[in-house]
Amino acid sequence: MLSAQSPRSWPLALALVGAFFVLPGRAQAQDPEPLSAFELLARSPQLGGSDIPRDLPGRATVGTPRRPRMPDASLPMPDLGMQSPLPAPEWRAASPGLFMSKGEPVGAEASSPEVASAHPEGEPASPSSELLAPASTASAADAPMGMPAPLTPHGVPNSPLSPVPASTQALLDSSRSFKVVPAAVAVVPGLLFHGLAPALAGDGHTARRLFALEGTGLGLIALGGVPIALTGASRRTIAPLYAVTLAGFSVFGISAIANLYSVASPAFDPGVPASSLPPLEFEMGYQYVSDTAFDYDHFVSLGAVARFEEVKLEATARLSPNEGNTQVRMGGAYRLLGEPERRRAGSDGSSLDAELFGLFHRFPTEGFTVIGGDVGFRGRYAMSRVSPSLAGSFAEASIGMALQGYSYPGPVSDGNLHSQLLYSFGYGVWLGRGGGPFKGEAMLFYDHRKDGFAGGVRTLSGGVVGSFGLRARALLTETWGVAGEFSASGALVGRLALVYALGGDE
Amino acid sequence: MIRIGAMGVLSALLMTGCLRPAENRAVRDSKVGRAEGGGLSLEVEDGLAAVRSVGSGEVTLWGNAPVLTARATLDADATSEWVLTVRNAMPGAELLAELEDGEVLAVESVPQVLPTVKAWRVGLRPGAVAKLRVAPPGWDSTAPFRFAALADVQEALPRVGDIYARLSKDDSLRFILFSGDLTETGTREQLLEFQARLEEGSPIPLYATLGNHEIISNDGDEYSALVGRGSQSFVFQGVRFTVMDSSNGTLDPIVEEQLEGWLASSRQGTHVVSMHVPPQDPVGLRGGGFANRGESAGLVGKLAREGVDLTLYGHIHSYYSFTNAGIPAFISGGGGAIPETFDGVGRHYLAVDIGANEGLREASLVRVD
Repeated sequence: MLSAQSPRSWPLALALVGAFFVLPGRAQAQDPEPLSAFELLARSPQLGGSDIPRDLPGRATVGTPRRPRMPDASLPMPDLGMQSPLPAPEWRAASPGLFMSKGEPVGAEASSPEVASAHPEGEPASPSSELLAPASTASAADAPMGMPAPLTPHGVPNSPLSPVPASTQALLDSSRSFKVVPAAVAVVPGLLFHGLAPALAGDGHTARRLFALEGTGLGLIALGGVPIALTGASRRTIAPLYAVTLAGFSVFGISAIANLYSVASPAFDPGVPASSLPPLEFEMGYQYVSDTAFDYDHFVSLGAVARFEEVKLEATARLSPNEGNTQVRMGGAYRLLGEPERRRAGSDGSSLDAELFGLFHRFPTEGFTVIGGDVGFRGRYAMSRVSPSLAGSFAEASIGMALQGYSYPGPVSDGNLHSQLLYSFGYGVWLGRGGGPFKGEAMLFYDHRKDGFAGGVRTLSGGVVGSFGLRARALLTETWGVAGEFSASGALVGRLALVYALGGDE
Repeated sequence: MIRIGAMGVLSALLMTGCLRPAENRAVRDSKVGRAEGGGLSLEVEDGLAAVRSVGSGEVTLWGNAPVLTARATLDADATSEWVLTVRNAMPGAELLAELEDGEVLAVESVPQVLPTVKAWRVGLRPGAVAKLRVAPPGWDSTAPFRFAALADVQEALPRVGDIYARLSKDDSLRFILFSGDLTETGTREQLLEFQARLEEGSPIPLYATLGNHEIISNDGDEYSALVGRGSQSFVFQGVRFTVMDSSNGTLDPIVEEQLEGWLASSRQGTHVVSMHVPPQDPVGLRGGGFANRGESAGLVGKLAREGVDLTLYGHIHSYYSFTNAGIPAFISGGGGAIPETFDGVGRHYLAVDIGANEGLREASLVRVD
């Protein structure tokens, strides 16, 4: 049975996704600090790093973070095609005198007493800033890995979604180091007070951003959740209210994990998005499902991805050889904003896709078949735009709707047609370090859909909550990689697959 | 390492709890209706009544089905004079007590003020086993009858008397089939208040399953003690009624196995199935049904294949009429809990006409407000 309310949710959902992407980002400068053994290991070529000093927004050279300093309004601002409150790195590099104050790195705020004491007058500029070679010819393609190239709809300059070059500020890394106390506080009580840990670590900028995100999340939860309670989850209003509430949980969850990441990230060299992904990938693996409601458990897992310019086609299949359960999902995504995965050089990985998928799922033991389709949007946002401390991580969210028909062969006279709200969010990290073939990503996620193998959590409130999990995919060489996923809800699902890539060296 | 191990064990326990959250209740159900005291050992067949007290020559049951059969074993040195009180009994219910050899024991009715409370003096035989059956006249006929379907009173408990008053105007109603969420949090006090208001206001008994609000307090153990099983099945006038505990948005495998037997035993007859959380929410975007849509589709498909005639649900505080796998389905969550707005339906119940031979005859929405 279908609800007539689904179209009403789209304008609001689109507005939320849009708001998520236009969240402004600014950067800060940081001080240099000697590398620890662990940091050196993390940067090693074996892990995809490079021995050559790189101008990455890394954590290895970070130190006490600084709040970003707004440029003097009296100073000339170059027209770089971006509406940034901060100057572009190439301009700063070319005109260091304009943006250095009393030896402070670019972007640092001199008003902070502790910052002032940490940077006595006459201290030389950070080595990181020196790495900012003259960039008179800099472009998105020339930008170093992980640098946020403008997020443009197919390369259109000056897009409203063009980012503030926040992570470029991270090029000016100053000394940041891993600290135990903020890391512990990030868990308790940091998971409730999301800016507390970075604040304790002296990163006021990140703290403010995370508190703002947390507040926004809680506000959205209240904005959607209170009316849901007051209306008794009315069929007339549930779709938009649900979308707002879930968006609130998304923002809250993302800020919670970002809080952890911000204080843990100094311990390692942050990853960067792969400059390009292969045009064709195949995968084959094994999936195990533990669900007391079903007899199936062992599955063969198959998958394929074909990447074109703006279009990406995907197909997955899960086959249970002994029980016969078969799930096939095919479809594709069209990149509305952001660089295509085939040629992502210079991009920070932010993107917005429109997705369309078809589903066939046969349950022979239970005696029914599901045929349906999904339509929705999926966006990814480089968290370096929120704060340089979050460089190397990203947030992802998707919203959509599924229409599914349930068919019961045999004596059952009637089937069912159902709609479903699709919603997911996650927080991920890039696994590659920009050097070597190693590239990939890992993401903690929440998925609201209830028709997958994981289903939803069987809670005190019935089956409202979806599943939680960790998903990772990485190419270890030009042609071989691994993919894995674990999700938990009312069922436990684990999958491990071998990935074979074609054309990865293009 | 110890800390990691402890975390692992904790995680495993949490995972197990998430995978089978209703398992403890399903196991606990098997103990409902059994008690010992004063030299009497009592076992209510199929756990269709909660033993509220036993001892000192008195037994009190809370009936959760129209027909109750119990096996009473009396010690040789125990007193033979017993008073059996059944609360939430069918009006006009009678007690038949007989020994295993068929000898009928003497029974004397004790007058009660409330129509749903019945009491009898019965002379049990020390050292012998007696079979007790409490049932209204005609319980084993196949005549059509009418019952009320209701759910989700919760915080509206102080106002539930309005519903009982409306029910009282229809003399043809035999009992209320309640699809969960009697109270707000399932505490002992709330459940006792629910039962007191029921006895005070309703002329007919109420047979229930629990809802997700009952399991808020100690996983519903007070419900088990005061009301009865969350999952059970009984037959009245040829129609089988099966209620199941779906309050976590799933059925525990133990309940699934029980369901197989109940479905098989009435494959050719009329069968009504009720649970609190509906397998499928008719408003799919809301998703107020089971946690796994595959499980829900499998369940309703099984019910359809086994010839279930009617499914009744609660949890959603409104009225919905739809079909699941072709089975007529109704959500009748009009007990007064936070109502779904803009639906044009306030507090309500469903009057269902059904018969052993006719199947579902009619289901009518009855508005209370």
